[in-house]
Parts: sequence; C-alpha cells; structure tokens
Amino acid sequence: MSPTPTATLAGPGARADRALSLNMKLLAHHSLEGFGGMGEGMAMQQAKDGRRILWMAHEAAPKNFTAVDVTEPGAPKLVVQTELPHAKVRSNSLDVVGDTMVVAYQTQSVGDRPAGFDIFDISTPEKPKLVAHFDRSGPHSRGVHAVWFVDGEYVHMASGAPDFEPTHPNDDQFYQVVDVRNPLKPAEAGRWWLPGTRIDDGAPPPTRLDPKFDVGFRAHNTNVFPERPDRAYVGYIDGGAVILDIADKSKPKLVAHWRYSPPFNGFCHTVLPLFGRGLLIVSDECVQDDGRDWPKMVWVVDARDETNLVPVATFPSPPHATFAHRGGRFGAHNLHENLPLPASFRSDQLIVGTWFNAGVRAYDVSNPFQPQEVAYYVPAAPAMAPTGAVQLNDVYVDDRRIVYTVDRHVGGLYVLEMSV
Amino acid sequence: MNALARSPGADPFASRLPVTLITGFLGSGKTTLLRRLLAHPGMRNAAVVINEYGDVPLDHELVAASSEQMTLLSNGCLCCTLRTDLQETLRELFVKRRAGEVIDFDRVFVETTGLADPIPVLHTLQTDGLLGAQYRLNGVVTVVDAVNGMRTLDAQPEAVKQAAVADRIVVSKTDLAPPAAVERLTERLRAMNGYAQLATAVQGEVDPAWLANIAPARASAAEEELERWLPRAAAARRAAGESGALTGALRSVGGTHDAGIDSFCLWFDRPFTWERLNAALQTLAALRGPDLLRMKGIVHVAGEPAPLVIQGAQHVFHPPVALAAGQRTDPRSRIVFIVRDIPRASIESLFAAVCSL
Repeated sequence: MSPTPTATLAGPGARADRALSLNMKLLAHHSLEGFGGMGEGMAMQQAKDGRRILWMAHEAAPKNFTAVDVTEPGAPKLVVQTELPHAKVRSNSLDVVGDTMVVAYQTQSVGDRPAGFDIFDISTPEKPKLVAHFDRSGPHSRGVHAVWFVDGEYVHMASGAPDFEPTHPNDDQFYQVVDVRNPLKPAEAGRWWLPGTRIDDGAPPPTRLDPKFDVGFRAHNTNVFPERPDRAYVGYIDGGAVILDIADKSKPKLVAHWRYSPPFNGFCHTVLPLFGRGLLIVSDECVQDDGRDWPKMVWVVDARDETNLVPVATFPSPPHATFAHRGGRFGAHNLHENLPLPASFRSDQLIVGTWFNAGVRAYDVSNPFQPQEVAYYVPAAPAMAPTGAVQLNDVYVDDRRIVYTVDRHVGGLYVLEMSV
Repeated sequence: MNALARSPGADPFASRLPVTLITGFLGSGKTTLLRRLLAHPGMRNAAVVINEYGDVPLDHELVAASSEQMTLLSNGCLCCTLRTDLQETLRELFVKRRAGEVIDFDRVFVETTGLADPIPVLHTLQTDGLLGAQYRLNGVVTVVDAVNGMRTLDAQPEAVKQAAVADRIVVSKTDLAPPAAVERLTERLRAMNGYAQLATAVQGEVDPAWLANIAPARASAAEEELERWLPRAAAARRAAGESGALTGALRSVGGTHDAGIDSFCLWFDRPFTWERLNAALQTLAALRGPDLLRMKGIVHVAGEPAPLVIQGAQHVFHPPVALAAGQRTDPRSRIVFIVRDIPRASIESLFAAVCSL
C-alpha cells in the first residue's frame, strides 16, 4: 500500500467521481449500448414467458425506447432499442399495462410531428408492434410530455391539442383523458386546463413567475388510481398541485388547487396520493444547473380535507453544500408512483425519488411531520457526463424492492437493492 | 406515530451500520489487531474510532490525510479519535457521512481504552434512539494477551469483564508465550465465556470475516449465520462432543480463577408470550441487573411470525428485532446468559416460575 497523501479531508460527497450509498447496493449498471440518456418513463412488463421487462423512454433522440430484461436484477439484458423518426422529437414518457405500451411524443417546435402518443403491442418484447398513433399535433402544440396509463382503458396525459391556443407559449400542455378501450381508435374523453391559460377562455391569465423561473402553467404528471377513479392528481408545474374531479371524464372539475410559487420557484411535478393516510406527496422538479433554482423539494401535504390542502413537512434535502455545485441539476424530480400494477412496489410509508446529482433517495414517511431519509445511492459520474456528475432522472421500484433508476444524459440504467 | 419506525418490509439488520467494539487490556494488542484488520481489502470502507493515537500507531503507510479528529487512511478507511463521548462521535460520523464529508463507511470499529468497562459502550447503542436508528451492534471482540493475560485477569476485574461479555476472544502474542501457558489461558477464557468464539493470533493476524460478521447482517439470516452470533453449544461442549463431564472439569478449572463468572444457555421448547418473556427478563434485571453481564437470545414469541433476536447487558435491553418469516430455524428458543454470581438454577427457576403462571 503506497502512501497517497491528499491535501485535505474534502469530502468524497463533493467529488462527483465517488459513489455514495446508504442502505442501497448497486447490483448492476447497464449503459444501454451507449445511449444512456434516459427520460422519465419507466414501466415493468411481466411477459407471458415469465420474464420481467423494464421499458424505458429516452430523454432525447436518436433513441425512442429501450427494453431490458431484469428478471435477474444483477444481470440485466438488452431486449430491444428503437429509433425515433427524426432528431427534433423525444419520447420521454411511457407506461405499460399487460402487453400494451403507450409512448409519448413531444416535438421541439409547435406544429411539428409526431406529436401525440403511440400504442404498441409488446406481447413479443423483442418486436414491439405499432397498433395506433394518436395525433395531438397542431399550430400551438408540441404534443405529449407525460402519459399515465394503468387501467388499460384510459390514457391521462399532459399534452397540447390541435385546437388549443395558449395565452402564453409556455402553457401549451394541459390535462387530457383519452379513451383507448378500442386501441385502434383512441378518442379524447375529456380535458381540463388552468383557467386563463387558453386564449379567450374568459378567465384572467395567471400571474407569471419571475422570468428566471417561468416554465409555464401546464400539466406534468396526471395520476389516477383505482382507489379514487373519480380523481386526477396533477402536478401543474408553475401552477402547483391540482386535484380534479373526473367522475364525468368529459367534464373534469377543480376540487383543490395548492399554489406555492411564488414564494417558491415553480415546477410542481408529481402529486402522489397516499390513500388511507390522507396525505399527498408532492415533488418539484429542478430544471436549472448549479443550484440556481434551489430549493426544489418534496412536500408532505395533509389532504384529509381534499379541498383544503395543507403542507406539513418537506423531505430532508440532501446537503446543499455537498451537491449544489457538484455538477448539473440538484433537486427533487420523479417519485416512484405506487403504480397499481402487479410488478410495482407500493407503499404509503416508504417513498423513493430521484434528485439528479444527489442520486436516488428513499424516505420513511411513517411520521408525516418528520419524514426521515433512510437510504440513498449516488452513482459516480458516468463517463462523458456533460455536467460532470450523474443526473438521476427517474426511478421505478418493483415488488421485490429492486430499485431501477436512470441517468438523464449518458449513464443508462442502475439496478439497486434496497435494505430498507 | 413513531419517528424512528421503519417502513414495513424494511430489514432491521441490513438497514443499520454494524458497530464492532474492540476491547482488551492495556498492551493486549488491540491496535495491532486493528492495523492488520484494516489492511485487508474488504475493510476499505471501514471507519475506526480510537481513543487516542497510541504507542502502537496505525501504520504510517496507512495514514493519508488527517484533520484534527479525523484521519483518512490511504486504503480508504476513516479513522477518528473519540471526542467527548462515543455518542457524539458516532452521531457526527453519520452526519458527515450523509453530507459526503467522509467516505460512506459500511462498518465501524470502536477501540476502547484498555481500562474501559465495555458495558456502558454497549448501552450507548441501546439507549440512544438516534444512534439506534442508524447503527447496530455487531459484537464485542476482546483481545487477551497470552503473555500477561493470566496475571491481568487475576488482578484486574475490568479485564475479566471484557472477556466475559465478548462475542469473539482473540488470544494475542501466542508466539511469545509457552504453549502450555496459552492452553491454560484459553481454557480459563472458555470456562468463563464458553459462548464466545476464540482464536489465537500472532501479530494480530486473524480472519477479517471472523471479526466482521458476528451478528446477523440480514433478517433472512440462515441458521449458520445465527450460529456465528449465538452458538447452540458452548465451546467446551463443542470441543468435547457434548461431553458434560469434560465441561464440568473445565468449569472447575475456570472457577478457581474467576469464581462467579459463568455462561450458560437456556433452551425453551415452547414459545413465550410477550408478557412472560418481559416479566422474566425484567425481574432478572431489577433484582440482579449489575450481575447480568450479557444476555443474548433467539426467541419464539406466540403470535409473532418469526423468531426475534434479543440482547442486553446489565439493566439495558435492545428492542427485540424480528428475523424474516419463513426461514428454517430451530423451533426452540435459546438465551445465553453471562453472569456474575448468579446460579444457573436460579435463572432456570425464575423462567420456570414465570412461564408456569
């Protein structure tokens, strides 16, 4: 052992080349054939032959989606990787029910195509078969950013529409429900937008955030669970958290609206209800590098009275001093969303989320007033990471408590075992 | 609501960082043992807490950088001197670990001073809720010097206590003592604490895994792993193939030196109820706490889906921790007691009385 003095005890946490872990162990890392820039669509298929296939949407062109066989979590195997039709579109989001997969398409510019979603038959995972395309392109539409598809019947999504002109270009994607019971002919079943965000909707436009944080009043995640099929839980970006009554899907009605920016810096991303506990877990998304939009947090919200949402705590943040300048984004983003599907981990006590350069983290919310961080894994910076640090973007936890998480730029897939 | 409650399904063993206490009288070779241990590649993410940089320093080659209290060893280990107390040091270590200010160590070794009574250190992990949420006791390793060990045990009650509460006993410097003396010392230690595994070492050379993996590391621990922590039979019995006569002979050898210290295992064929288990242990702790040097067991409790790991020292008990359901384990409960001046028959009768009510 040779002496290798270092000048100070500068923490390894500030060094993006070091992995950090607590109660999570890396089982495998898959670079996805060099196309490891992944978006925020992850879903697990339990194939008829017994395999578990993890489907992932890419962050950006040229790749569309990638499937990996994770039956053996320590030895993931690439199943298929597909291409986008051109470089100015991204898939970003997907969901799987049985052998049906829905994949979002969002274009860089309004008016471009494909802008909508595809439905695939993935009964043979190696050969996804296109069933139908649902077009949402239009002069003011970039298409679909995020889909939620868990019942095999309806796709809930954040999308523009051919007939929708926003009052501000950032407000183009709103909540829509699409009936896919006949997958050959998807049809819009309903829509809701924040009043004032559509030209001539009769409401005054919402007061915009400071230009340095303004990313729009539009929908992001649009979650609907079988426990409350009459409710949609919507992260409405700069508009905050929204609960909609969708008992009549053709006429969604506002139930609650919790807007907390300003004073915070916008981008409400996910509204995850914990049924039976009267709680919502609400995550922000960090969208600026180097801590410029800090703080981006995960909130615990008391929703016992769903018309009066009261924040009661935030998840303890990873240390700002360690991560803010570690490279790239540092702040909350996607949560594992307790998908009501057989392969998904479901818990109203343990919440797992990604924090970009602060990795993937698990929180015990058994005491909603005092959430505890109980596990984390921060991969070392992947090779060629443009920001110099990992940027964990999305997470999926399966019913074996195996955590799958992906890097936004280059790192691909990390498979972790959680001991909490 | 319990702020420290773990989510259902959490592994109460694997989700805590193991702490191993290394104790032994002055000059027994604790630091030499640590030095050899830390040089092993499997220990590169260890943190060590030492009381002071002693006469036998950790290898200079190992020391890469140091601050006032913390030293990063060039093999990656973290070494820090004990601050005002162990509680504060362990808390600070965890906070720094989370902040990424120190390596994300995966185990901690705490070296006590030679004169230390190890039991208060065990209590630290048992009674501090914040520490208990992050750390678990892996075990107590006691180093006994083959050259001076006999004399030290004769003269120093603390040395006897250190050996009595051990999970592992390392007899050091066996190359410097006559084989007959090593054998006598070994017999004495086995008689005193037959449930500790014992090994001899020259220059601190012992199998790192033997020291690092003492307590179960996961709830789904198999019987072999449990056996490492809680042997089903005392060492003397194991050696003699369950020959009671030989055990008696050894016990008389030990008894001449360490009258009063005894270790034994009680077996229970039927599951306890919570009330009876609590009543028996609480009565024992209330009446003879100071003499109950260590207690550890794997017990079945009616209504619980899996056996529970229990342990304590003197009047302080760890909260019981459940093993995973569905494992193949002995259907009987077993509890090892290491006691001072408490006849085995008294504890047997106590349990018999409580369980018959």
